[in-house]
Amino acid sequence: MDRLRLLASAIAGRTLEVAATDDDGRAWTDGATVFVDADAGPGEQARMVAVQASLVAAGSLEPDVVRQLVRRPGVARRYLAVEGHRALALNGTFLPQSCRGIVDNDVAGLATEVAQSLAVARGRLVLDDPPMAFGEIRPRQVLAAADRTERSTSMGAAGHDARSAVGPEPEEYDDADPRHLGHLLSSPVGGGGVLGRLLRRMFDATRTPGGDGPPGAGTRAHTGRPRSGRGIGVTREAPSASLDAIASLQPRAATYPEWDTHRHRYRPDWCTVHERAPDEFAPIVLPDGLALRRPLARLGTAFERVHRQRQGDEIDIDAAVEARVEALAGSPPEEAVYIESRRHRRDLAVLLLLDVSGSAGEPGPFGRTVHEHQRDAAIALTTALHDLGDRVALYAFNSQGRRAVHVVRLKGFDDRLDRRVVGRLGGLVPAAYTRLGAAIRHGAAVLETRGGTSRRLLVVLSDGFAYDHGYEGTYGEADARRALAEARRRGLGCLCLSIGAATDPAALRRVFGPAAHATVPSPDLLPGLVGPLFHAALRRVS
Amino acid sequence: MTTRPFYVPVDHEEAVFKAACRQGLSVVLKGPTGCGKTRFVEAMAHDLDRPLVTVSCHDDLTAADLVGRFLLQDGETRWVDGPLTRAVKEGAICYLDEVVEARQDTTVVIHPLADHRRQLPIDRLGVVLDAAPGFCLVVSYNPGYQSVLKDLKDSTRQRMVAIELGFPPPDIEEKVVLHEAGVEPEVAAQLVQLGQAIRRLEVAGLREVASTRVLIAAGRLVTEGVASRVAARAAIAGPLTDDPGVSAGLAEMIDAYLADGPDGPDGDDEGG
Repeated sequence: MDRLRLLASAIAGRTLEVAATDDDGRAWTDGATVFVDADAGPGEQARMVAVQASLVAAGSLEPDVVRQLVRRPGVARRYLAVEGHRALALNGTFLPQSCRGIVDNDVAGLATEVAQSLAVARGRLVLDDPPMAFGEIRPRQVLAAADRTERSTSMGAAGHDARSAVGPEPEEYDDADPRHLGHLLSSPVGGGGVLGRLLRRMFDATRTPGGDGPPGAGTRAHTGRPRSGRGIGVTREAPSASLDAIASLQPRAATYPEWDTHRHRYRPDWCTVHERAPDEFAPIVLPDGLALRRPLARLGTAFERVHRQRQGDEIDIDAAVEARVEALAGSPPEEAVYIESRRHRRDLAVLLLLDVSGSAGEPGPFGRTVHEHQRDAAIALTTALHDLGDRVALYAFNSQGRRAVHVVRLKGFDDRLDRRVVGRLGGLVPAAYTRLGAAIRHGAAVLETRGGTSRRLLVVLSDGFAYDHGYEGTYGEADARRALAEARRRGLGCLCLSIGAATDPAALRRVFGPAAHATVPSPDLLPGLVGPLFHAALRRVS
Repeated sequence: MTTRPFYVPVDHEEAVFKAACRQGLSVVLKGPTGCGKTRFVEAMAHDLDRPLVTVSCHDDLTAADLVGRFLLQDGETRWVDGPLTRAVKEGAICYLDEVVEARQDTTVVIHPLADHRRQLPIDRLGVVLDAAPGFCLVVSYNPGYQSVLKDLKDSTRQRMVAIELGFPPPDIEEKVVLHEAGVEPEVAAQLVQLGQAIRRLEVAGLREVASTRVLIAAGRLVTEGVASRVAARAAIAGPLTDDPGVSAGLAEMIDAYLADGPDGPDGDDEGG
């Protein structure tokens, strides 16, 4: 079904998922996912997808309209019979030719906008039933999905606390509350569909190192107004001590926009990033960075013109004239009369962004946590690049809602690489969530302003699980992808490394998009891969 | 007189270009890969009856490659003009394709040529050439590619008249595909529709969108007798992505938008 995702998105003009419907074979959509019969022929599936995607594109499923179809199956069917044709006709440019046959222009002509279709549907005009390919409209599911989107949006808008302000209405699907999870997974919306998978993944991956906490149980960085009626989940404060400290410092803050894939536009100044230097130290055993030096040594060089060479692209006129004079004077001429362009000056700044969210605290397949793997890789890369004479900076990040994205400066570009850097790294405890996009935007801005070289590379060390309040699923993935694309567009190389994490490769592709990325099972394997990866990331911008 | 290279105007770009050329102003063409920038310049050179000197810039291109250099011959040094110097002397249109790919030192020679001075200093010869009448400097860049905004300095941009080219609207793009590939109008329409649909996607894994160039390439394969879906997979989907998931999605789009070939069944009727 995934194969039809692109087709659906192209016709709708926005990202849609496609999944198999579970029951009688009629296609339907909740506005985010199109459900089609897995057993239908491929051409038939394409037609069903085209109809549902066109309905989305034409605004036929706006909540205000759909609300009037609840519990009125007859009107809903008649509405679909008119609106389906109108939506298809409206979307003509993007409608595959194989689907044009099902458009009845006479019916489409009955209405020029959604409200007219609704009026016709309520009227007495005799209408044929919608063709099989039109599927059906399921008003409740559309409204539930719209509600979810709205909720996740407002959650972000009011800070992470807003989540607990939502009343405990039993019929509402609350994404974040684990008590509803079982209900959701068995509901027709969650089903086996994308949402269900997403929720399961959220549930699996956001546990804090304590292990027993539910996903909502994170930490409350600021504005901790405990609400009643929400159970133990929200007020548990286990690993939050250091985050409270971060919030209370209120250091340098910067705001960044965020990409809203549902509305297809940026939300200006949406995220606040707080940058600070850490104050906790813990010694760690330094991994060996030597093996990384060799592959990295060949990178990051720029042209330099060398005079008086035996070979080269251009003649060194001064040398040539001297050689000629010498030859005429009878002495053996100097043969080194060329200017050669050589790559040998280091010209590279690298900023490493280390994900220290709660999910990185989970033990990997071989016992060590993802965080430990990533930490080792981070310090090994930092020392190797530093020893090679590159400008290098190391930052760590996590988040607690859009107003509290925390970026910890372990080593700035102009800081010395010493024991304190290693100690700061050792003092990091993975906690909270991952608002990848804001962290990437901040890292890119730092790299751009303080990198100081013409070739610049942003390295993100993360399990690739973009999740925060109001930053779930496709929304977070699209924003992270967008942030990376922005950085590349500004001439920064981007490389995303997952080390020792068990994240699904398809999810990584969704988050990192066309940026160079790789999943490395263990830091030991990094030396063999880092050369080609760095090279690929730099080549994509230069 | 050769025939005019095929170019269909979309907006006022032809009038602006010709006016700029006649006034001795330099032109910067902005637009995505494969949207017709090079073809546009060829058509303009033809209309203005000027020779065209095209230089594809790359990251090793130096000012000397443009201006010229000394070579050794029989123990003597001999100066050889570069393409830019030739164009300046002949009064030709000099087209620097993807100019930002070139090294920074090229701006030293571009600046005095691009503004009112219209002069090319050749320091190694110790001369300053005045551009012959008719000389026009045209550079192109693809804003999507970024080394651009970083490298095409404001001081360079200010010396230029900018013409923005995008992918043509469907009706014009159909004409272009029809003419360039020599396919049936039906096929051209379907290819263009497919291209338009792909351009609507915001998907991870696509390096670029489907350009007019790749649509034409697919059309030319069809002209050779390759079935349209096969041609589109080879010429459109293949170059765009290496990701198996995205490839599968594009294949579905190709099947939906393109008919199965001249004789094949149009889709499938088993479900309906």
